[in-house]
Amino acid sequence: MGLASIGTGSEGMQLCIFDLRRGQHEGQELDKILFFFPADLPFSTQLSVIGLSEGLITFTRIFSPEAACEVIEAERHSHVFYEAEPDIWMVMIVEKSKELETIWRIDALREVLKEIHCLFMMFHGSIRALLDKEPGGELTRAHLYPFIMDYLRDFLVGKKLQLPSFRDCLKERRTVQMLTVGREAAIEVQTLVRTLESCAGNTSCSSLILFQDLLVSTTLSPEDTINLFTYAVLRLTPHALSSGASSWSYLRKGNSSLPVTTGSTLVHSGSVSEQFYGSRDTSPAGENRYRITRPLQHDKWFKGKDGFLITDIWGVDAGSSNVTTPTVWLQQTEERMYLCAYQYKSLTLILLIPLSSILSGEQGLSVVKQQLLENASLKILKVEEKLSKGWGGENAYHVSGYRYLLVDGNRDISRASPPGKVTTLTKESLLALNRLREEVDSEKSRAKWDNPGHDKDMEVCIRAKNNAWAIARITGGKELYMVLEKANETLLYASEAVEKFSNSRPMEEDTTKTEEEEFNTGPLSVLMMSVKNNTQVLINCRNNKKLLGRVRAFDRHCNMVLENVREMWTEVPKTGKGKKKALPVNKDRFISKMFLRGDSVIIVLRNPK
Amino acid sequence: MAGKASSSQASVGGLVSGALSHVFIQYPPLRCNINESRGFYYDDANKLLISPTSEQVFSWKTAPFSPLAATTTDSISEGPICSIRFSLDEKLIAVQRSNILIQFFHRETGETFTYRCKSESENILGFFWTDCPSRDIVVVKTSGLDFFAYDYASKSLTLVETKKLNVSWYVYTHESRLVILASGMQCKTFNGFQLSSAGIIRLPKFEMVMARSEANSKPVLSSEDVHIVTVYGRIYCLQVDRVAMVLHSYRFYRDAVVQQGSLPIYSNKVAVSVVDNVLLVHQVDAKVVILYDIFADSRAPISAPLPVLLRGFPRSNISTSRSSSKESDSSEASNTNDNEAIIYGDDWTFLVPDLICDVANKLLWKIHLDLEAISASSSEVPSVLEFLQRRKLEANKAKELCLAITQTVILERRPVTMVAKVMDVLVASYSLSLKTGSYFKGIKTERTASSGPNASGLGQGIDVSTSRTDGHGKSIQEESASRVNSVSVSRHSTYSSSGTEDNSSSEPLKTSSNDNQSLATKVDLAESSTTEAQSSSSASRVPSNNPLNASVAEQQESQLSSPAISPDEMYKFVFAPIEEEMVGEPSYLVAIILEFLRSANLEKVKVHPNLYVLTIQLLARSERYAELGLFIINKIIEPSKEVALQLLESGRQNSQIRKLGSDMLRQLSLHHDYVLLLVQDGYYLEALRYSRKHKVTTIRPSLFLEAAFASNDSKHLAAVLRFFSDFLPGFQNTSDFSSYYHILNEMNSSVAA
Repeated sequence: MGLASIGTGSEGMQLCIFDLRRGQHEGQELDKILFFFPADLPFSTQLSVIGLSEGLITFTRIFSPEAACEVIEAERHSHVFYEAEPDIWMVMIVEKSKELETIWRIDALREVLKEIHCLFMMFHGSIRALLDKEPGGELTRAHLYPFIMDYLRDFLVGKKLQLPSFRDCLKERRTVQMLTVGREAAIEVQTLVRTLESCAGNTSCSSLILFQDLLVSTTLSPEDTINLFTYAVLRLTPHALSSGASSWSYLRKGNSSLPVTTGSTLVHSGSVSEQFYGSRDTSPAGENRYRITRPLQHDKWFKGKDGFLITDIWGVDAGSSNVTTPTVWLQQTEERMYLCAYQYKSLTLILLIPLSSILSGEQGLSVVKQQLLENASLKILKVEEKLSKGWGGENAYHVSGYRYLLVDGNRDISRASPPGKVTTLTKESLLALNRLREEVDSEKSRAKWDNPGHDKDMEVCIRAKNNAWAIARITGGKELYMVLEKANETLLYASEAVEKFSNSRPMEEDTTKTEEEEFNTGPLSVLMMSVKNNTQVLINCRNNKKLLGRVRAFDRHCNMVLENVREMWTEVPKTGKGKKKALPVNKDRFISKMFLRGDSVIIVLRNPK
Repeated sequence: MAGKASSSQASVGGLVSGALSHVFIQYPPLRCNINESRGFYYDDANKLLISPTSEQVFSWKTAPFSPLAATTTDSISEGPICSIRFSLDEKLIAVQRSNILIQFFHRETGETFTYRCKSESENILGFFWTDCPSRDIVVVKTSGLDFFAYDYASKSLTLVETKKLNVSWYVYTHESRLVILASGMQCKTFNGFQLSSAGIIRLPKFEMVMARSEANSKPVLSSEDVHIVTVYGRIYCLQVDRVAMVLHSYRFYRDAVVQQGSLPIYSNKVAVSVVDNVLLVHQVDAKVVILYDIFADSRAPISAPLPVLLRGFPRSNISTSRSSSKESDSSEASNTNDNEAIIYGDDWTFLVPDLICDVANKLLWKIHLDLEAISASSSEVPSVLEFLQRRKLEANKAKELCLAITQTVILERRPVTMVAKVMDVLVASYSLSLKTGSYFKGIKTERTASSGPNASGLGQGIDVSTSRTDGHGKSIQEESASRVNSVSVSRHSTYSSSGTEDNSSSEPLKTSSNDNQSLATKVDLAESSTTEAQSSSSASRVPSNNPLNASVAEQQESQLSSPAISPDEMYKFVFAPIEEEMVGEPSYLVAIILEFLRSANLEKVKVHPNLYVLTIQLLARSERYAELGLFIINKIIEPSKEVALQLLESGRQNSQIRKLGSDMLRQLSLHHDYVLLLVQDGYYLEALRYSRKHKVTTIRPSLFLEAAFASNDSKHLAAVLRFFSDFLPGFQNTSDFSSYYHILNEMNSSVAA
């Protein structure tokens, strides 16, 4: 039965976490295993998988002690290794198959492992710390199992686990997507941030503000920002809340925390592992040996009347109906923080307050919340209005003609073409880009070892089977990937297109290169000269007439306002039958002021004198 | 001399300034001691205090106000005197002899002629000179107004126009150019005319409100109960209702007279002054004054009722130490000291707009506002700042106070929301002053003033008081005077306009400085051309051999025309000093700076790059790199070279920030710096590519070569060498080329070996 579930349910994916420091002795091997998916696999199989992985790690360590093993490609499987903490390894084994859908990018899979671990750390602290707390490993397993199961549920499509495949090559996990805001809105946002963080008095709070699923502001370190941002997008934003809303009522009725309908393969497991991992049914919190919080549980967050997001994941206060406020652990400050989330329309604000600063617990927090409502709600209103006014909607960051992914490695920010647009690409182009990205990944990791701290620049263009161009360009720690399906034949064209793209919005910053600068240096400088120096230009129009005049104003479409124009053309006079051929007659007229629409312009010449 | 005098004065000032008051009069007053004086008359058009004797007319200029104003004497023929007014060009003196006769004297030639009422039924109530086109003098009679033009050739008056009205009495101020004529049983029906240089505007007829004490009694309004007041270029009429004990206010618009509400009064006798657009209601019986700033239609007084303070008055016990400069009148002064010190004496006459004539003692006082006391008396900081920002007369003082208040507010860590309001007030006021142009004038005069060392030590008595002014910042006596003069000059066209008041009151300020320092003018032409017209009009009334010249130069220093604070000054005088004091708490200061940026952005005011640099330093110091990154990306901190360099500096601890700095250099097209930075960081190939693209030729090839050599990569070194030999003409002949060529060969051979 377990085997069957692998084959069908999890698409041949296995995921395990083990600790090399445990189970050193004969007969204690089971002790190594901290997590295994699918859980209903017989222990012997689990052990053999882990044994293989361990063997590989020990072997490769001989050659490369710092970074032992990243990936092993076997004939039918790929093993993706990730050393989450010293000697604690996460291994994902994915089965290769003939189907196209199972073409992965190894780095993308590793990002998944990393994300699991980081999120876990954020809520429960490091695995090692948990193990130290309770050397038996029960506690760790009891935490890991529901956590990862909840996480994996997000990948469930129907009954299959849909891991990031080549189709996702224009996405980058573990990066933050930012909202581009104007200066005025940005200042408003920042003042709001100050107001928020001052709500808890003099303690140093941190905050995160999201608009829709995009980050607006953060005062956290990059790493913590990514973690919280990921969590917020998964569970807190209006989008995440509403997607749960449909099934919410149903779940409540069932009074079971794990949905039985979907992902039955995940739920269904043998009684052996049931005991081994401890009870997963955590809904009656008191009955458990350990109180396990499951922050990734679905549909557990909802918006309270006062605008704050509430959840009972962290339990309910005995006696009162107040729910316990969630806490998270920040990597940078190594401090536990209360997580207060407030939502107004599309705006989600997350305020993190140090646990140590609020002595009276929930009571103190409600004071802070009250403060927030009093001081900041007006500002929140204003900011929301401003941001939603400036927001271009889902396709705001679409650049027509391009499908792109921009990753700013310096700040862990990425921006990509909207998913809806990416789906219009053909399989071939995506596969090509996936291939290209793998290439770039390996190049990058090599460069990292060769010359740490030094950015490498590179540019790769490849031609896909369908004649599309897949292009990668890395400069100064920023990566640009794009697919050009309608590109013309030449490489030159493709490279030009990249140039154009980079110039128009290279890493979403150089938009300051103003039109004026362009006019001063670009081809339109001919017109600009005329405007500035009041010199004459000769314009050939599509009606075969010529205009000689001075340009008063123009735009990038070559629409022009002209002054003192002499329009010149030739006419062949209508002739009677007698004459054979009349000579063309030059004609002209004077127009003191005129508007010329740009589409009728063929040539513009500067008057040389 | 000056030093001694000022020290003694200072001790006096120190003593008295402890007393509570918001309004003060500064000792010494203008003494108008004339024997056989037959009373005082005030010519508000020419700002002259006039005191006639039987055969002579003595007059003193009250603007600019100076206790040492020279006496001018003119002789007239003997006779009764009802009122005296000089013509606007001060060539004629008109004396109303009786209710049917006005006599005119030419001051230079001494010629005279008379005007007599024709009919028996009408009486002359009064007259005044006007600058209406083709009219020179207006005679108010019980039957209406007569407009006359004065013909210089024939030396006679010709009747131009007559307005037939019943008139009981009238009120006129030259400042407003408005005459209102009372009629009716209770004298509460009014007709009004504004006689500006643009022409005559007739106001709609209106009635004033009067409460009745009993059903039958019908109180009659008298002319003492009606005051015309000009505040912020708007014209108001204030009417005392003795029964209801309120002061009704009416605002005059071109086509309407609108009642604006009432102010309570606490005295049967009420007088009204206007100092620097602040309305002073003297409750004479109660001997207190209440201040109102009716800019924002609020009827709340600025401050509690307090008496007027006599400042700098030498009590007899210290009069011995008084300076020699006043020796002439010191003996006399000590005798009259006690009388002089009486505040709100029975003989006080309040002259428009801000003078007090003590008829009994023959003294003229000028009323001043004590901005410091006013600002200290209120804890509502934003509104205090608003008030101060509206002050034009003592702009320097107001500005200093504003800066000090802002500093304190921040140092005291008041709530950010409150400080935000403060910033809003200051920035809004600055942007307004930019729009009206008054800010630049202020800057200019400041500059010219500082370059005028001749200011000190010239003006004897004045010098004493001004030096104290500077030392203590308590009292400023002279600065306002010239301004008052020119304000009224420019007022003529601003009838009932609300928007132009800043213009009208600030423009003339420039005038006076222009006259003296026209060479230093650096303002744009449009600005100065408008004032040129102004200056020509006022230049005529400021005699070139003005004995006050010395003090005029001194005045310049305090002649900022607007207390507005520019972002540069904000940085220099608020943020930079505060930053040094608030080392411990950068986040609060950042919040404040943000609020400042927010208001600046709202008003589209440019901010000093140093403020951005400071912000970066603060954020970097507290290691808030995430925010700093957002600040840069969202352009909250506007890119500039200073900012970029600071980012590079702060980025030593954080590579992200450093990258933001180098990106900014690139975006700003600071090619040279950017390429240099790339080379320094070891990206010499990228640097070459970049310099080729952007034609940067200012960097020595050896830098690149050294960097390439340091990387110990022969391929790269070869590439760099090749680059320069290809693109730099004559490079192959330089020593750089040969030495590195040599090195390259060695490297290659060693590899081969």
